[in-house]
Amino acid sequence: MGETSLSGTGAARSAPARPATSRLRRRPRWLKTAFPYLLVAPAVIYLMLITLYPGIYAIIQSFYAVKFGPWQPVGFANYVRLWGDYQFWGALWNTLVIGSIALTLQCVLALLLAFFAYRDPWVRGWRIVFLLPMLFMPSAVAFIFKLSFLDARVVSDLLIRVGLIDGNLAIQSSVWMSRGLLILADVWQWTPFLFIIFVAALQGQDEEVEEAARLDGASWPAIFWNISLPMMKPVIAVALILRGIDITTMFTNVFIITKGGPAFGTETISYFIYRTGFRFFDFGYASAASVIMLILTILIAQFVVKRAFVSARS
Amino acid sequence: MARIELADIQKKFGLVWGVRDVNIDIADEEFIVFLGPSGCGKTTTMRMIAGLEEPTEGEIRMDGEVMNDIDARDRDVAMVFQGYALYPNMTIYENIRFPLRMRGVPRAEQDALVRQAAGLVELTDYLDRKPQALSGGQRQRAALARAIVRQPQVFLMDEPLSNLDAKLRQAMRVQIKHIQRQLRITTVYVTHDQIEAMTLADRIVIMQSGAVQQIGTPDQIYNDPANTFVAGFIGAPPMNLIAGRLADGTFTAPGLRVTGLPERRGGKVTLGIRPEDCHVTVGADHLQGIVFGVEPTGETTYLTVKAGEKLVEVKADRDFRADLDTPVAVGFDTTRLYLFDTASGDRLR
Repeated sequence: MGETSLSGTGAARSAPARPATSRLRRRPRWLKTAFPYLLVAPAVIYLMLITLYPGIYAIIQSFYAVKFGPWQPVGFANYVRLWGDYQFWGALWNTLVIGSIALTLQCVLALLLAFFAYRDPWVRGWRIVFLLPMLFMPSAVAFIFKLSFLDARVVSDLLIRVGLIDGNLAIQSSVWMSRGLLILADVWQWTPFLFIIFVAALQGQDEEVEEAARLDGASWPAIFWNISLPMMKPVIAVALILRGIDITTMFTNVFIITKGGPAFGTETISYFIYRTGFRFFDFGYASAASVIMLILTILIAQFVVKRAFVSARS
Repeated sequence: MARIELADIQKKFGLVWGVRDVNIDIADEEFIVFLGPSGCGKTTTMRMIAGLEEPTEGEIRMDGEVMNDIDARDRDVAMVFQGYALYPNMTIYENIRFPLRMRGVPRAEQDALVRQAAGLVELTDYLDRKPQALSGGQRQRAALARAIVRQPQVFLMDEPLSNLDAKLRQAMRVQIKHIQRQLRITTVYVTHDQIEAMTLADRIVIMQSGAVQQIGTPDQIYNDPANTFVAGFIGAPPMNLIAGRLADGTFTAPGLRVTGLPERRGGKVTLGIRPEDCHVTVGADHLQGIVFGVEPTGETTYLTVKAGEKLVEVKADRDFRADLDTPVAVGFDTTRLYLFDTASGDRLR
């Protein structure tokens, strides 16, 4: 009895309430299910067009011989040829040498700068200055370096006037000097980027922790080494991945400053791919090299992310 | 293990006074508590003792030696921070060992000292964990262990219990006091919680707006407040402060009349009476008012009486109950009345 009367009153009450609730717009069920997909759709479509399509295209092309005429399926022939191509291995080695030295230098430099600067109350004000090299067009930077070191010999001239050297620096005739020039250009342009990231990470760390360490008797370098640096590990990892991928695909500076010379001594993988594809028009072969490079970058990124994040968390 | 003297300490942040004219002598092995509302300068004063902040003027001396120009890390002072400030990248063991490592304690001795300190705060089972894996109370104890492990000259504690829940706070209070008594290390403790101050301190320094209001033992502060600020800050619920007039030994305010006060200069005077020194009576008494609110706490009942526009808090019997707006009379323990100058807030003695 009680139940029926209760449900009776409930129905009686909800009946006049119906028209009131109908003022609220109801979302159709299909929209509810589709909504999340709709939200990510633009990004996914964009990514597909920009990266996935050419990526898959390159993978397919790497199994064909493509030279102006119709595509000839060749199986793994392009990859086999890469395996035996000393120029490809040379490009790989150059990328590794130039990339790792440049990356280490700019990372250490940025860390040092950040260590000295992050406590400065004015660093927020003038850190925009550090962004300047990043704001320049990469090709413009490359031309500046080319002009000052090679074509116009500004640097050589300055060094001669100061009396440090006797004759012009023959950069183009030395593999290591040419590599050094590429490294210098990259370090100059990208140290600020890492600096900003590291400063932000250091400024974001708990000030109390630093003060505690000071009272525990730690010097500033000891605090940095024992506390700040370990806490920055994930940030450093992300920065290194970003820069690492960038450096692995280094092209602009090589293309403009050294053209891969002397004697292919500064030819990076990107430049090798460009040369194969757009100089010899061997697209299938270039695609195969690209695929290898893609796999390498993914592997390196995976490795760095895993190492850095696992040790930072556990 | 050190005597601390603060002599004419001033601290200015730009144009703003942080701390002014602070003179405190802290005896060896004393537990002293800086008490005051936020922004009163208590933390700044402590940070100056630590060396994290430099006084604009004045001298800080430890055992007679001027410390002003000595770096924080050379002062042999250990601090427990409000947010614990444990090193998140290290285990609890490494955290506690860190000050030993930084101060060059021989490796062979480190382990024993760490385990001893951890034992003192009952953290022995958690040494392998990272701070994130500990509860608030455990982190607090880890911070404490890190401070005591090297037996510093001075302990500084900056609101160390404010992030804990009430129950844990009470337990940790006892622990901290016990450890301080055991190690006999001079301790400066900053808090805004008057219960913590009363229960922990040998002496309390009450501060407001950067200036010291009163220094004294908890009993002195409670029984003999120097001004209305101290009177109103200590005690829960706080002392009733009723502004009125004093003439010919009689204090009057709306609904209130207290006679037989010693002859003193009359005029605008504030009368202070603690809720626990009031009692509800039948018939006419010092205060006539109506019931504004009744708050039973189980242990006792707090009655709020409205007299004129003023609300007066009274501690009544635990089973006292009354309806709103019923007339009520309140008697005062006249030996426990305090009179203050209304304008300056200073005690009239």
